[in-house]
Amino acid sequence: MASCAVEGGCASDYLAVAISAVCFILLLSRVILPFAVLKIPLPKRSSFWIPVIQIYASLNLLLSLVMSLTFLKFKKTYWWHSCYFWGVWIEAPLGFGLLLSCRISQAFQLYYIFVKRCLPPIRSYIFLPLILMPWIAGAAFIQIKRPLNNRCHMGIQWTIPVMSLHTLYVAILVGFTGAIWHIEFRFDELRDLWRGILVSAFSIGVWVVAYFLNEIHEDISYLQVASRFVLLVMASILVLAFFSISSSQPLLSQISLRKREPLSFETMGQALGIPNSGMLLPREPAPVIDPDEPLDKLLMNKIFRESFMKFAESCLAGESVHFYEEVHELGKIPADDPVRRIYMARHIIDQYIIAGAAMEVNISHRSRQAILTTSNLAQPNLFHDALNELIQLMKTNLAKDFWSSMYFTKFKEEATTRSHELKQMTRWNHSPTPRLSSAHGVDDPFHQEQES
Amino acid sequence: MLSILIENMGLLCSRNKHYNEEDNEENAQTAEIERRIEQETKAEKHIQKLLLLGAGESGKSTIFKQIKLLFQTGFDESELKSYISVIHANVYQTIKVLYDGSKELAQNDRETFEISSENKEIGEKLSTIGSRLDYPRLTKELAQDIETLWKDAAIQETCARGNELQVPDCAHYFMENLQRLADPDYVPTKEDVLHARVRTTGVVEIQFSPVGENKRSGEVYRLFDVGGQRNERRKWIHLFEGVTAVIFCAALSEYDQTLFEDESKNRMMETKELFEWVLKQPCFEKTSFMLFLNKFDIFENKVLNAPLNACEWFKDYQPVSTGKQEIEHAYEYVKKKFEELYFQSTAPDRVDRVFKIYKTTALDQKLVKKTFKLVDETLRRRNLFEAGLL
Repeated sequence: MASCAVEGGCASDYLAVAISAVCFILLLSRVILPFAVLKIPLPKRSSFWIPVIQIYASLNLLLSLVMSLTFLKFKKTYWWHSCYFWGVWIEAPLGFGLLLSCRISQAFQLYYIFVKRCLPPIRSYIFLPLILMPWIAGAAFIQIKRPLNNRCHMGIQWTIPVMSLHTLYVAILVGFTGAIWHIEFRFDELRDLWRGILVSAFSIGVWVVAYFLNEIHEDISYLQVASRFVLLVMASILVLAFFSISSSQPLLSQISLRKREPLSFETMGQALGIPNSGMLLPREPAPVIDPDEPLDKLLMNKIFRESFMKFAESCLAGESVHFYEEVHELGKIPADDPVRRIYMARHIIDQYIIAGAAMEVNISHRSRQAILTTSNLAQPNLFHDALNELIQLMKTNLAKDFWSSMYFTKFKEEATTRSHELKQMTRWNHSPTPRLSSAHGVDDPFHQEQES
Repeated sequence: MLSILIENMGLLCSRNKHYNEEDNEENAQTAEIERRIEQETKAEKHIQKLLLLGAGESGKSTIFKQIKLLFQTGFDESELKSYISVIHANVYQTIKVLYDGSKELAQNDRETFEISSENKEIGEKLSTIGSRLDYPRLTKELAQDIETLWKDAAIQETCARGNELQVPDCAHYFMENLQRLADPDYVPTKEDVLHARVRTTGVVEIQFSPVGENKRSGEVYRLFDVGGQRNERRKWIHLFEGVTAVIFCAALSEYDQTLFEDESKNRMMETKELFEWVLKQPCFEKTSFMLFLNKFDIFENKVLNAPLNACEWFKDYQPVSTGKQEIEHAYEYVKKKFEELYFQSTAPDRVDRVFKIYKTTALDQKLVKKTFKLVDETLRRRNLFEAGLL
C-alpha cells in the first residue's frame, strides 16, 4: 500500500484510469456519432474548431493527471515523464485553461451579441489565445522557478495561487453567464450553459479539495491514493459533462439554427416563428400586378416575389431577392422582441453580408461596414441602406427583363386560375401547405459555388 | 357475372392497347426531342461563346451595350426611354456621393471642402433625395439646384478627389448635360445610354453576327455579360465551359481607385489578381484571351496629374516626358505589365492559345467596332487554323 501510493499502480489507480478512459471514449462518441450516423454536414470555421479544441483540451487534462499524479507504475523514468511537461504545461495551458477559455469565449460572444447588441469586437480565434495568456505566463513562471519536488508536488504557497487561477476562470465564466441571464433565448443556449456550469462548478469544488489534499499531505499515503482517485474521476466527469451538455453545439452554431432543433426549418423565419413565413396560403388573394408600380411595393406580395425569385435565380441573381425576403421577415418581428430580431439579424449578416458569405449580396463597402460595426443589432433600419441599394440593383437589372419573361407570363396565368379556385375553396378550411423555399433547393446555383 | 368478367377483360385489353399506344406516342415524342436536341447542339456548335470578364466598373456592360448597338437592332425609343430613370438615378447618386464626401473631407480641411452656407440647404435636400428609394423625375428646378451645388467650389474640389470616393465615371458627363436631362420630353441619346452606369448582377447574354458591309463573316457569337464585384464572380464558373474567347476588361484609369465592395483594396491590384485567376482556370486551356485595356479616354486625362505609381503594381514607373508622349509611355508600361503577367500565369502547355491586347474606350463606337472586327478576324483565323486549313 505504502509503496504503491508513492510509485503508483494501486488497484484504485487502475480503476480511476479505466473510468477516465471510458469517459473519454463516451465523449468522443458523442462528438462523432451525430456526424457519422445522422450524416449531419460538418460545420465550418469556429463551429468546427471550438469542439475540436475542447476535445483536445479534455484529452490533455486527463492525460496530464494520469501522468503527473503517478497513477501508473513505470519501470524506468524517461525524460518525457517530466513533471513540468505534464503537471505544468499540459495540465494548465493546454488542458484546464484551454477548456475553460473555450467556454468563456462562447459566453463572451453571446454576451456581446445579446446584451451589447453588436457583433463581438474580436473574433474568437483572437480572443481564445488572448485569455489563454495568463495560463501560459503562469506555466512559464513555474518552469523558471522550479518549485516542484520529485513527486510533482509544489507545496502550499504555490498551490494556493494555482488553484486561485483555476477558480478565477470558473468565476469569469459564471460572471458572463450571469450577465446574459435575463435574456430569453430561442434555442436553449443559456439553459445548457447553466447546466454545464453547475456540473463543472460542483466537480471543480470537489476537485480543488482533492487537489489540496493531494498536494499538501504528502506523507499520509491512504489520503494520497484516495485523493488522486477522486481527482481523476472528478476530472473525467467534468470533462464529459462539460462537453456533452452543451458544447457539442458550441456558441456559434447555437446561434445558427437547425442542428439542435428536432424540427428542421426551411428558413430562419420559420425557426423563429414569424407568422406567414415560408408558406403560401391558398387563400391569399390573387394579386393584381401593375408593372408601373415600383418594384419594392410589388415584392411585398408573396406570390409575386416567388415568381420574381425564380426568374432572378435563372439569371444567377437570386441572392438579392432572398435577401429582400429575409429582411422583410425581420420587419415582421415586433420591436419589443429584441432577441428574435438579433437572431434574425445575425442570420442575415452571416448569410448575405459578410465578405465571402454563402449568398453574399452586391452592396457597397460603406453599407457593409455600417452593418458590421452597428451599435445595435436590433435596430429597425439596420439593413435599410443595403436593401435600398439592392432594390435599385434589381430594378435596373432584372425588372425590365422580367416583364417580358416566361416567368411573368406563367405568373399571370396562375393568378387567373387562382382567383377561380379561390371562389370554390372559400367553403373549405384548407390547412396551409408548407412550401419549400428554393433558398436551399437543388437548383440553387450557390450550392455548387467554388471557394476562390 | 360472366358478362361482367368479359366486360372487365375487354376493358383490360383495351386499356392495354391504350397503354401501348401511349407508349408508342411517347417513344415518338422522345425520338423527336432527341432529334431536336441533336439539331440544336449541331447549331450550337457553330455559335462561338464569348465571355466578358473583369472587375467591377471595368466597362463590360458598356461593351455589351455597344455590341447591341452595332450588330443588333440597337435601342428603339421605348428602350431609350427606359434609361431615363437610370440616368436620373445616376445624377442623384452622384450628387449625393459628392455632397456627403465633401462633408467628410471638410472634417480635416474646412477651408477647401466647406460648402458655402447657401448651398448647404440644397445639399441636405438632395442628399435626402439621394438616399430615398424612388427618385423623383428630374425637374428643371431640381436640375437647377443640382447645377448650383455642382458649381460650388467645395464640390468641385471633392470631385477632384473623386478617386477616394466612389464617384461614377459618368459624373462629369451628366452634370454638364443637366438641363437637357431635365427636359420634360427628354429622350436619352445613344451616348447617354452608353454613359449610364448600371451595376450588373447575374448574367445577361445576346447573340449576334458581326456582318460587315461586305457580309463576309458568317460567324455567330453569343456574348455573356456578368457582374464584376466579388460576390458576382462566384457565378462566373457556371459559364466557363466551352468558351471560345474571354474578353477581359481592365480599366486603365482605375490605378488610384479602390473597389466599390472593399475600399481597402486598390482596383488595379484586384484586376491583376483576377486576371491571374482567370488565366489559370482549367476550363480555359484552349480559350483565346482578348485583353481590353479600357477607359483610355479617362486614362489620357488622368495620368499626367495623378502619378501611375500610386498603384503598388506600378511602383517602379518613372515618367520620362510630358504631354502626349508621356501618355503613350505610361500606356505602354501598363500594357507591358499585363503582358508579363499573362506569360507568367500561362503554363507551358497553353502557350499556343491566342492572346491579344487592345487599347479601347468603350464609349467610342467607332473604336469598339474596329476592335471587334479585329477580334472577329482573329477568332476566324484561329478556327481555320484549328480545322487544319491554315
